[in-house]
Amino acid sequence: MAKSYILNDLINVFTVKKMKMKDAKAVGKMVIIGVLIVVIVIAGVVGYYLTIPSKLKETLIMGTTDSVESCLDTARAYDYFGLEIVQSLGSPLVAYKPGATGVESDFIPQLATSWSVSDDGLHWTFNLRQGVKYDDGTEFNATDVKYTFERGMGIADPDGSFVGIGYSDFIQSITVVSNYVVEFNLKRPFGAFLSLIAYQGSYIVDPKYAPMHGTSWNISDVVVYQDGNPRGSNPMGLGPYTLKSWTRVAGKDTEMSLQANPNYWDASSGYPKAKNIVIKFYADSAGLALAITAGDVDVAYRQLASTDITSMKSNNNLKVWNGPGLIQYLCMQEKYMPFNNTKIRQAVAAAINRTELVQTVFQGDAEELYSMIPIGMLGHTDAFKTLGDANYSYTKQLLAPLGYNENNKLQFALWYETSGHYPQSAQQALVLKSSLEASGVISVTLESRDWAAYRTARQQEIMHSYILGWYPDYIDPDDYIYPFVQSSGGSWLHQNYANTTMDQLIEWARGNTTESARATLYGQINNLMVQDCPIIPIYQGYAYAVSRTNVQGVYLDATQTWRLWLIYATE
Amino acid sequence: MTLRTYIISRILLTIPMIFILLTTVFLILRVLPGEPVLLHFEKMENPAAMAAMRAQLGLDKPLWAQYFDYVVGIFRGDLGKSMQDYSPVAQQIFSAFPATLELAICSMIIAVLLGVFLGVESSKAYNKPKDQVIRVFGIVTYAIPVFFLGMILQLIFGVGLHWLPVGGRISPTMEPTGLNIGNFHFSTGLYTIDSLLEGNIYKFVLTLKYLLLPSLTLGLVLCGIFIRLTRSNMLETLRLDFVTAAKARGLKESTVTYSYALRNAFLPVLTMMGLQFAMLLGGAVLTETTFSWPGLGRYLIDRINFRDYTAIQGAVVVFGIFVSLVSLAIDLLYAYLDPRIRL
Repeated sequence: MAKSYILNDLINVFTVKKMKMKDAKAVGKMVIIGVLIVVIVIAGVVGYYLTIPSKLKETLIMGTTDSVESCLDTARAYDYFGLEIVQSLGSPLVAYKPGATGVESDFIPQLATSWSVSDDGLHWTFNLRQGVKYDDGTEFNATDVKYTFERGMGIADPDGSFVGIGYSDFIQSITVVSNYVVEFNLKRPFGAFLSLIAYQGSYIVDPKYAPMHGTSWNISDVVVYQDGNPRGSNPMGLGPYTLKSWTRVAGKDTEMSLQANPNYWDASSGYPKAKNIVIKFYADSAGLALAITAGDVDVAYRQLASTDITSMKSNNNLKVWNGPGLIQYLCMQEKYMPFNNTKIRQAVAAAINRTELVQTVFQGDAEELYSMIPIGMLGHTDAFKTLGDANYSYTKQLLAPLGYNENNKLQFALWYETSGHYPQSAQQALVLKSSLEASGVISVTLESRDWAAYRTARQQEIMHSYILGWYPDYIDPDDYIYPFVQSSGGSWLHQNYANTTMDQLIEWARGNTTESARATLYGQINNLMVQDCPIIPIYQGYAYAVSRTNVQGVYLDATQTWRLWLIYATE
Repeated sequence: MTLRTYIISRILLTIPMIFILLTTVFLILRVLPGEPVLLHFEKMENPAAMAAMRAQLGLDKPLWAQYFDYVVGIFRGDLGKSMQDYSPVAQQIFSAFPATLELAICSMIIAVLLGVFLGVESSKAYNKPKDQVIRVFGIVTYAIPVFFLGMILQLIFGVGLHWLPVGGRISPTMEPTGLNIGNFHFSTGLYTIDSLLEGNIYKFVLTLKYLLLPSLTLGLVLCGIFIRLTRSNMLETLRLDFVTAAKARGLKESTVTYSYALRNAFLPVLTMMGLQFAMLLGGAVLTETTFSWPGLGRYLIDRINFRDYTAIQGAVVVFGIFVSLVSLAIDLLYAYLDPRIRL
């Protein structure tokens, strides 16, 4: 019987010694061929699985400690997370490409396919993409652009970016040239205008969901959260996602989910990568850290403590992403002694030990900053290096003629906030105190308040020196200079600095649209900042996101925005 | 004093108590440095816009006028509008309160059941190793900070074993809808009950999974005092004649302990439950933060950071009323169980 023959053959294989030589060779050949076949089959199967693309997860779960502060309407939203969601639900005329560093070549077409500026810098013309539809199928055209900007400036919500940044200071009028051409007429040339157009506050709204209720724009026209009505809770509609659900309990987000917009104009390029986004909200960084470690979320973004980041870097199940983050700086009150003296401000700037702060407080996960304009951005120079870092001999040299020495130390208070508004503020203050006192001629008293009280103290101008931080609005050196050292633009800092030369340089830099000329002007501004020393840049931090290892497409760049539609996870 | 007079007098006493609480919070907030309007102007300060906002929020009026407006509002049942996002405070508190209530009830159930059971077992094994272990357990759980215990449980059951979620109240998009029959809709905001009303067992189990760690944390921290109290009362009760008599009649030990002795030893525990409810709400503030639980405690912390005067006042008033009502209910129960109270 066949079965017994096969059995016999198998027995023969293992008892090959007992067989004749000829039979043994034949069996040997059979075994080799059999092994080869098995190897080829296994290789084929393995090769197949290695070469086919991994399946993308339909739903990506994101964890955050953020929450929408007020609403998802560009007329009011001015908080980080609110604008990040706006960015996923809407589209701008132009945007920064992923990986942007803050230079002119970073701009990419979005709803506008091309643009141009008049020679006098007063008229910006945008040619719009045709055939773009809102999520409800309505066609987008130039009147929507005019509507969006006139609405934002008309509502003029004091909480919103249209007032905060001051759109009306630049924009005179908007003209619909044709269905797909729109022109912005400016009051004065503004070199950062494209950056402003790329900013989330400039994303285009759907007039149908952002109507005017009266005869003129009113603050009550702002689209606010409506329980159980996610579409009515946001006026966007041109973005990669639509808002599927949004629940708030007691003014805080408890649940949010996004789903791919079927009418998204860039859907043919494969965006959004993840078809659904579910956002889970955590009360604090400890909760978020536990959630990403436990695998409750695929990606965690804002805010994770730097100590958690350090341990996560060595966790094989996690991937840590980073990019440029906030900058922090020291302000000095020039209204009264001791910082009404430029030499004293310079002496303090020279004594600061940035390297020690970066190494001690942030374990090296930050960079020393020597100008207010961040590293890598147009206009950045290491201007403050001329004063040195922990340059105690220069500090002593500057203070000695003023009567300050080891026996009569310069005394002042250094203030910091305690609400976690900035990372590790208390540790920063301690290291700064220690580095300043290491000069031997400075004595620092530390003072702290929670954020609300700190803001009041700043407004009352009672703080000698105080640590603040900055996240940018639009990505341009102007957003790192004008709000700080221009006499009216920087008035919110309450440090009472004003210099007409500085104002003039800033005005020229703002009005210029040539990149090289602007770089030169910002270099001069940086040098004047060192000379006057109204503000001392300290460090540039990193923004961190942490994901499971199967997540790709996280881009953290100079824009410091969170591009959800690029992120995906494989099964 | 009849029971009705007793109830009326207790309710009347609650009103001035809430008033004193409200006035104190109102004044403390105004004395504290920090102003809600300033926090709306994170990067720029526009004096005209700030003045307009102050007027809109009623902060430009003299203090007595602000107080008068607020009290009049309270009598009309209006807790005012949030100074952060301009939403009605009553609505916000109403949306957050069920989460806190659910957490408080579950925590109290765990604390009482565990505390009383261990207290009884401890008293039965007086001075034996079992008694010593339970006493140490009681002291440790009472002394341990609630956020620390919470994080330990999160690390064990969430990160280590992956059994339970580390935070939140339920998975996104899984919120129970409650009872829905045609156009009739009814929900309590308590997810355990709403999921049952919806008839969705999966959501019910999911709700319990999210609820378990925070309530266990709070329950464990609170159970220590119930262990101590039950133990000491049981030790006294077990020595009484009626217990000896019950034993002599040949009743089972468990019947004697739980049906006879514990019933008598339970009255002080009941009083403690009322007192502990205030503690529970204080603990809920920390527990809600640790477990990202969207309740009133977390709301209060957020609003303190923002100096949202109306929201803080509203939350404190609701906390005050809640504690008063629970205290009243406990007193009534006490009066019902022990008629001497009414005499």
